[in-house]
Amino acid sequence: MTAVLDVRDLDTSFVSPSGTIAALQGVSLTVNTGEILGLVGESGSGKSLTGFSINRLISPPGKVVGGQVLLHGQDVLTLGEEDMRQLRGRRIAMIFQDPMMTLNPVLRIETQMYDALSAHESITKTKARSRAIAALDEVGIPAPEDRLRSYPHQLSGGMRQRVAIAIALLHRPDLIIADEPTTALDVTIQGQILALVQRLCRDRGTALIWITHDLAVVAGIADRLAVMYAGRIVEIGGVDDVLDNPAHPYTRGLIDSVPARGTRGKRLNQIPGRMPALTDLPKGCAYAPRCPRATAACEAMPAIEPISDTRAVRCFHPLTGEAS
Amino acid sequence: MTDNVILSAQNVSKQFGGRGDLVARGLARLGLARPRPVVRAVEDVSFDLYKGEVLGVVGESGCGKSTLGRMVAGLLDPSEGQINGRAPDANTGPLPMQMIFQDPFSSLNPRKRVSDLIGEAPRVHRIVSPSEVNAYVADLMDRCGIDASYRDRFSHQFSGGQRQRIGIARALAVKPEILVCDEAVSALDVSIQAQIINLFMDLRDEFGLTYLFISHDLGVVEHIADRILVMYLGRIVESGPAEQIFNDPQHPYTRALIDGVPRLDRRRTVYEPIKGDIPSPIDPPKGCHFHPRCPLAEARCRTERPVLRDIAPGRQAACHLIETTAIEGEPKWPATKTG
Ligand SMILES: Nc1ncnc2c1ncn2[C@@H]1O[C@H](COP(=O)(O)OP(=O)(O)OP(=O)(O)O)[C@@H](O)[C@H]1O
Ligand SMILES: Nc1ncnc2c1ncn2[C@@H]1O[C@H](COP(=O)(O)OP(=O)(O)OP(=O)(O)O)[C@@H](O)[C@H]1O
Ligand code: SF4
Ligand code: SF4
Ligand SMILES: [Mg+2]
Ligand SMILES: [Mg+2]
Repeated sequence: MTAVLDVRDLDTSFVSPSGTIAALQGVSLTVNTGEILGLVGESGSGKSLTGFSINRLISPPGKVVGGQVLLHGQDVLTLGEEDMRQLRGRRIAMIFQDPMMTLNPVLRIETQMYDALSAHESITKTKARSRAIAALDEVGIPAPEDRLRSYPHQLSGGMRQRVAIAIALLHRPDLIIADEPTTALDVTIQGQILALVQRLCRDRGTALIWITHDLAVVAGIADRLAVMYAGRIVEIGGVDDVLDNPAHPYTRGLIDSVPARGTRGKRLNQIPGRMPALTDLPKGCAYAPRCPRATAACEAMPAIEPISDTRAVRCFHPLTGEAS
Repeated sequence: MTDNVILSAQNVSKQFGGRGDLVARGLARLGLARPRPVVRAVEDVSFDLYKGEVLGVVGESGCGKSTLGRMVAGLLDPSEGQINGRAPDANTGPLPMQMIFQDPFSSLNPRKRVSDLIGEAPRVHRIVSPSEVNAYVADLMDRCGIDASYRDRFSHQFSGGQRQRIGIARALAVKPEILVCDEAVSALDVSIQAQIINLFMDLRDEFGLTYLFISHDLGVVEHIADRILVMYLGRIVESGPAEQIFNDPQHPYTRALIDGVPRLDRRRTVYEPIKGDIPSPIDPPKGCHFHPRCPLAEARCRTERPVLRDIAPGRQAACHLIETTAIEGEPKWPATKTG
């Protein structure tokens, strides 16, 4: 398998008069053709920043300060603005929790899809129209010809998200970064979007990063899983390995605190305390203040190390499948 | 009402809009304004709440969960029907119901200190004497897992999980019997959510509380609830013991809902979700509200409203296809399968 995306040691910081906040540190991940990588973690762990950094959508005071983002071997961080604009939307597309990040409220769907198409290729209005209809049809929008005339506010939340996905897919990108696209949707509508995205990735071989705070969602669709904590990836590996045999104590804690089948009436595992603010990180392992396995060694920063061909973990005392 | 029933809702409905106030009606008559459309947020809902239970209310956005919760908490009057609470007895005082919201602080005075936010209502309602308020507040903070040394802080100085704890302490301060929790853990990260869910369960044991627990998160409700009401477009479509509802859902909507929920133990699931959007409550489908999306719909489903009726001991459902005995076996369509 070839890596569509290979992110190496990405660092992103916020610079302010009162100092520099290192928001992402040493983020490394790969996504292969047709693969879905789930990126999970709690609020503020750096999931969205990772997505935005890959797509170079970080704006001041934020800045990518180190590392490489290789798309088919080419480092997008070294591209000029114009080349980057060409790449964005055509080879990397983004889907957001709020589809109105993609959609313009005052334009008809037809205009928006035409604009999206003509941004990257010269195309006649007639051709654009049939491409748009095909794209809307593909994401399961009934009566797409009629829908072209609609404004975004005339559509339901689920429909708007479909249109945003249709626009993201117009140029058949190599990579889609989806940032919590179903978080605001109802269960039955979320199921429709999950089914849609799964099918599209499978049929087209599109690589996908699915960002979410909901472990159960990625359990259902991801092939591999990366877990973030306080701006770093703490564990990455195959979805079954990570969920059934988590190696990082934080992953373990997270899984055990999810209310689910079989936890009825029992006390949920609770991780004491909360994630530290980026301005207030402990010196060594950021999880140490909450970690039941912490020792004096954890006052240093653990590196992310492979524990098998397909897995890596950032911990001095990883779990090895014994009772925790 | 039997002894165990602490609250009983009978044929409760709530409409919004429509006639409007005097001015709006006047303008409408003069043709200067259009009458507002009527939203049937809750329609003919009946259920009992038993003392000490956690009754979960689930359903998708706009199905009327919050409206029902607000009526139970006494914050909203039903348009039709009644909600009968047990008459307050001497030691429960005047405020037997309290409501906990997604973020209780968004509606609160940011200039008040935590000690006042928690202590004000019990002082005003003479639940404790002025000299005892401090100790009372400290005890509540302690029980809800907030360090009592934070009593002089302001709301914005707390994290989301801490704010929710303060909201709970504030609700408990007036010694309620019933807590209506409306998406009370939905905005919290899982590790914090687990802390709050555990707190709810501890408080239930400690204070003998009864909960109406509203959430769109079925995992949370499955964990915490004893019984469940499933709502769709303002109506209850199924109710019963939580374990039975989750293991053996009967109503086609409940099946779609439960089958569609992502779960940690469902890997590489091929989702085959139920079709269509949730219709508008302004102009809901005739007959069974679910019929445009229901894979089992028949002719009469389009015209005839199915009544909520007993299908097994303690279980009710509103579907023409479910007779008095439960539907056996697998759903007739696979909503999900693992591939
Ligand atoms: N402009 C900024 N200045 C300083 N810090 C920022 C800025 N923007 C974001 N951050 C910080 O970067 C960190 C990562 O944020 P990010 O949005 O990536 O989190 P996330 O994992 O996507 O969380 P959520 O689940 O809430 O979306 C957070 O701690 C956030 O406070
Ligand atoms: N004050 C109001 N005025 C007019 N319509 C209202 C009002 N409050 C609620 N509604 C409508 O009543 C219906 C039910 O709303 P409600 O908030 O009870 O749903 P819900 O199940 O709590 O949804 P959610 O999961 O989104 O919180 C919705 O269509 C809503 O738009
Ligand atoms: S490095 Fe130490 S503190 Fe950090 S997760 Fe591992 S055991 Fe816990
Ligand atoms: S009454 Fe008819 S439409 Fe409604 S849920 Fe039952 S079978 Fe489906
Ligand atoms: Mg985010
Ligand atoms: Mg609500």
